[in-house]
Amino acid sequence: MKTLELTDLQIAFHGHLLNQASRIAQEVIDGGRISVDHRLNIYHNAYRVRLLENLRDAYEKTWTYLGDDTFDASALAFIEANPPQHRNLRWHGAEFPQFLANQFPRDTDIAELALIDWQLRHAFDGPNATPVQPAELAGLSPEDWENVGFQFAPTLFIAPLRYNTVSIWHALDQEQVPPTAEALPEPSWLLIWRKGWQPHFRTIQAVEQAALAQMQGGASFAEVCAALSQQFSDQEAATVAAEGLRTWLQDELIVGLTGLLPR
Amino acid sequence: MPMSMNHTASTIRKKSPGFGLGLRPVHYPDFLREPQAVDWLEIISENYMIPGGKPLAMLDAILARYPVAMHGVSLSIGSTDGLDAQYLTELKALAKHAQPLWISDHLCWTGVQGRNAHDLLPLPYSEEALRLVVSHVDQVQNTLDQRILLENVSSYLDYRSSEMSEWEFLHQVAEQADCLLLLDVNNIYVSSINHGFDAIEFLNHLPVKRVQQIHLAGHSDHGDYIVDTHDHPVAEPVWELYRYTCSRFGEVATMIERDDHIPELPELIAELNRARAIAAETLEALAAVA
Repeated sequence: MKTLELTDLQIAFHGHLLNQASRIAQEVIDGGRISVDHRLNIYHNAYRVRLLENLRDAYEKTWTYLGDDTFDASALAFIEANPPQHRNLRWHGAEFPQFLANQFPRDTDIAELALIDWQLRHAFDGPNATPVQPAELAGLSPEDWENVGFQFAPTLFIAPLRYNTVSIWHALDQEQVPPTAEALPEPSWLLIWRKGWQPHFRTIQAVEQAALAQMQGGASFAEVCAALSQQFSDQEAATVAAEGLRTWLQDELIVGLTGLLPR
Repeated sequence: MPMSMNHTASTIRKKSPGFGLGLRPVHYPDFLREPQAVDWLEIISENYMIPGGKPLAMLDAILARYPVAMHGVSLSIGSTDGLDAQYLTELKALAKHAQPLWISDHLCWTGVQGRNAHDLLPLPYSEEALRLVVSHVDQVQNTLDQRILLENVSSYLDYRSSEMSEWEFLHQVAEQADCLLLLDVNNIYVSSINHGFDAIEFLNHLPVKRVQQIHLAGHSDHGDYIVDTHDHPVAEPVWELYRYTCSRFGEVATMIERDDHIPELPELIAELNRARAIAAETLEALAAVA
């Protein structure tokens, strides 16, 4: 019987790994102490074990939250539906939170937790940037303050949050029984970024989220203050803006200044 | 038993930097706290082909203290898809930054049709596969501007389309592509059991002057077959094979690879010292005969 050419052999072998009908068994020599099927199964199993271990590692809190059986079942279903397409295993599993949202439509706290897992990992090895120091802002002229905008850390990630997932994450992190998932009383967002070498996250409310979104869209800090003045009294707006700025500096979220006039 | 060393050995392979370990993140603090009895370290290239963050900061700190070799798992030199240009660009950028002792990957394929199995899948030892690999190695070496090392993988099946032995295939790849070899002694042992060949014959057919590095690792014995799991200490038969490897290839950079159930660093250094002792005994014996 004629053997397959290399391209077809590789397609057949990979098809076998992916549970597709494949003529790979006919390409393997039958002999020795174990059968052809057994030999092929070593690769078939290794493929799943490796990808499953990678997902357990990337989604550690989600794994703990769901337990081995439920997590593994979901992860293996994800693996079947999403063969890795990137050379670096690091990137396999990016779509897992969405996959979990579809699998557990009534319990989207699971998908939220998975998103925290993934984005924390993303923040961990995301691009470096040098944070702006408070002294740099202290040196700005009144004209500069009219125009200055902020560049935020390249690892910054913001997403809407519907559940008390942050409390669940902290309980799991301290190896305690997590609280029951509950919808948050008011609209909240999750903020994830890296400070120093350490990924961080916190929950933010509508005012801060709007300010960040405005500035990410290119607005100046003065424009953010003006928008706050529509919502609050001038004095309250100034306090909110100053407090926001102080927090962003302390969190090392600001990594560049824009809109400054050349000196 | 051929004991003579090829006199042209040093013209292709670089002088051995000694005895090393695979760098694993759990040991960062040990390596950065104080000097360890390890001559060089091997990094997994893909672990540092990332945008930034702590892993790259740790790498820089390691580079300031130890010579480093780069070892990849995703080059997929034998894939009929061809080489991945983006991967090669990232690999080259890392090499420019790390200035490694050398760069290695595996003689295998890891995916096809744009999908990656993240496993070191075996090639048939055919003329067709040989031509493909030689052409790919040529492209990689031109891109990286240096010879690369290819490692023999452990395998669990033989293809009907193979036309030569694994050692003949390795030999032909190394000579025709003018590349170097990373001999994984554990993989040779594992495959010798799984396929029923003579590991000594395997070693005797490889070109001495092209063997730049040796891997030692542990495996899992399933009775009818052995799996290359890297989660155990080096097994006794592998130490014996290493002794023979030293006698045939002379002074070759040797390291221990552990990827799972990673012990405390002193345990790995003790294992590495056994490799040092075996290599020293073997080389002394050779010198006495000469």
